[in-house]
Amino acid sequence: MTAREVVELIKKNSDAPFNERSYRDTFKAGNPDVTVKGIAVTMMTTFGMLKRAHAAGLNMVVTHEDTFWNDRDDTKDLTENPLYKLKTDFIAKNDMVVWRDHDNMHAMKPDYTVVGEVRSVGVKGGEDAVMAPRIRTIPETTLGEFASQVKRLTGARALRCVGDPKAKVSKILIGPGYATPRMTLEADVVIGGEQQEADGSSDNVEYVLDATSLGMPKGIIMLGHVMSEEPGMEDFANWMKTFIHDVPIQFVPAGEPFW
Amino acid sequence: MKDADISRRRFALLAGSASAAPFVLTGAEPLTAQVVIQRIQSELGGEWPATGLDGWKGGNPETVVKGIATTAMATLDVLKAAVKAKANLILTYEPTFYGRQDGQPRPGGGGGRGPMGFGPDDPVVQAKREFIEKNGLAIFRLRDHWQARKENEMLTAFAGALGWGKGRVKDDIVYEIPPSTAEAIVASIRDRLKLRAGLRAVGDRKATVRRVLVQPGSMTPATMWSRYSEVDMVVAGEVREWENTEYAADMFTAGEKRALVTVGRVVSEEPGMRACAGWLKSVVKDVPATWIDAGDPYWRPA
Repeated sequence: MTAREVVELIKKNSDAPFNERSYRDTFKAGNPDVTVKGIAVTMMTTFGMLKRAHAAGLNMVVTHEDTFWNDRDDTKDLTENPLYKLKTDFIAKNDMVVWRDHDNMHAMKPDYTVVGEVRSVGVKGGEDAVMAPRIRTIPETTLGEFASQVKRLTGARALRCVGDPKAKVSKILIGPGYATPRMTLEADVVIGGEQQEADGSSDNVEYVLDATSLGMPKGIIMLGHVMSEEPGMEDFANWMKTFIHDVPIQFVPAGEPFW
Repeated sequence: MKDADISRRRFALLAGSASAAPFVLTGAEPLTAQVVIQRIQSELGGEWPATGLDGWKGGNPETVVKGIATTAMATLDVLKAAVKAKANLILTYEPTFYGRQDGQPRPGGGGGRGPMGFGPDDPVVQAKREFIEKNGLAIFRLRDHWQARKENEMLTAFAGALGWGKGRVKDDIVYEIPPSTAEAIVASIRDRLKLRAGLRAVGDRKATVRRVLVQPGSMTPATMWSRYSEVDMVVAGEVREWENTEYAADMFTAGEKRALVTVGRVVSEEPGMRACAGWLKSVVKDVPATWIDAGDPYWRPA
């Protein structure tokens, strides 16, 4: 089985029409016609993750995020970069191949990135979650208690929260990665991966600071981009196992990058 | 510096005044927010198109100014502190109304993913507007023109706040510092900038750091790729995790003894706005100017 054939099977089994014009969902490195010995499913193709995949005997990487440190995986300014050479040489030398599945994954029903994220923060009922966020109700607690639970369950070291820890909360909006939902009137807490802090389209941080100053119970829990989308990669790997039986498929975490 | 001179003259023309000293006041004239801003505009030079980011965001420009407050972000808590300090003209580097549109309708309506920004009927937006009106505040965003100065204090004041001002090596962003480990420097940064959970670091915590690059605000991947190897540590406001953070993580895996530290976008912009208050003292002598710290917005549970 070649990497190209694996990708065709993903497209065929995905319930979302595949966008052939997506700049994200393409081969990023290596030879698409290489024979696949095993598949590593990951949130982000870091150099460390590539080494772990190789050590596990997996030579195809299905990655949700980029490989070359920018959303478009544009490498025109990187051809002389030593780290770029090191990473691409490692991929070539070990007959590895990297394919990104981002837009398609978020278009699928369910969106496994959100399924994994909802589960990882201890909120029930996320098995059918899709990209578009909806209010999820949890038993009333305080923002501080809930944030402690999220930190303990996810293990995120660099978790960041905004709002009054004593605020009473129960309505949660959850979004993956950079798609941190905009705070709404109904929601008490927004959970996301990361977001531009200010001067964007909807600056949640300033909004929640001001709402807090007004005594409104509003909070933000930022998990980090990797930590928010990584749990769902295991679900995606399990989904791939339902239609690919000839080669091993393994979830290989990228891991939280922060100290 | 010819260009700056030309644009300054053009600004004077655009502003409808070509006289040699258009903004000199006689003692009897009230010092309105508009007059102060015109003085700042004249001093900073350049053009100030109505479509630019810099401009009025709230309150009444005809307000008589009692005092000026500068800040990286005009949160409601910052506005409350300004009122306490008897400052009613607020100069903010970041938006006031939760996004680049800053409370104005988007040209051409929606677009993009889902609803954008917070509408005029939003209770937080309304409460903030009421607070601004009730307290006679006037809010002006000052970003592009402040950071376009020849000596860009957004950069130098940030390095200064970290205690590195004397070690400037080149182009205002690279500094030599007394050698120390990355983790010891991170502890010092946390202390100096009064950081809570906003500080995040990636890379080699044991690296010996002698040379640093500072980048307040957002740092682009292009800057990261071209300059990370020049220094032992980059201290930035914010980066994208799947871009510069991944690059620093990969460099660490490759055995490079460096670290990337982010302190938060707004926190990284405060020293430059503190410097702005200092600069204002020479530009507007009639009223006091003070800096009000928006602070690190983040905390981390136990």
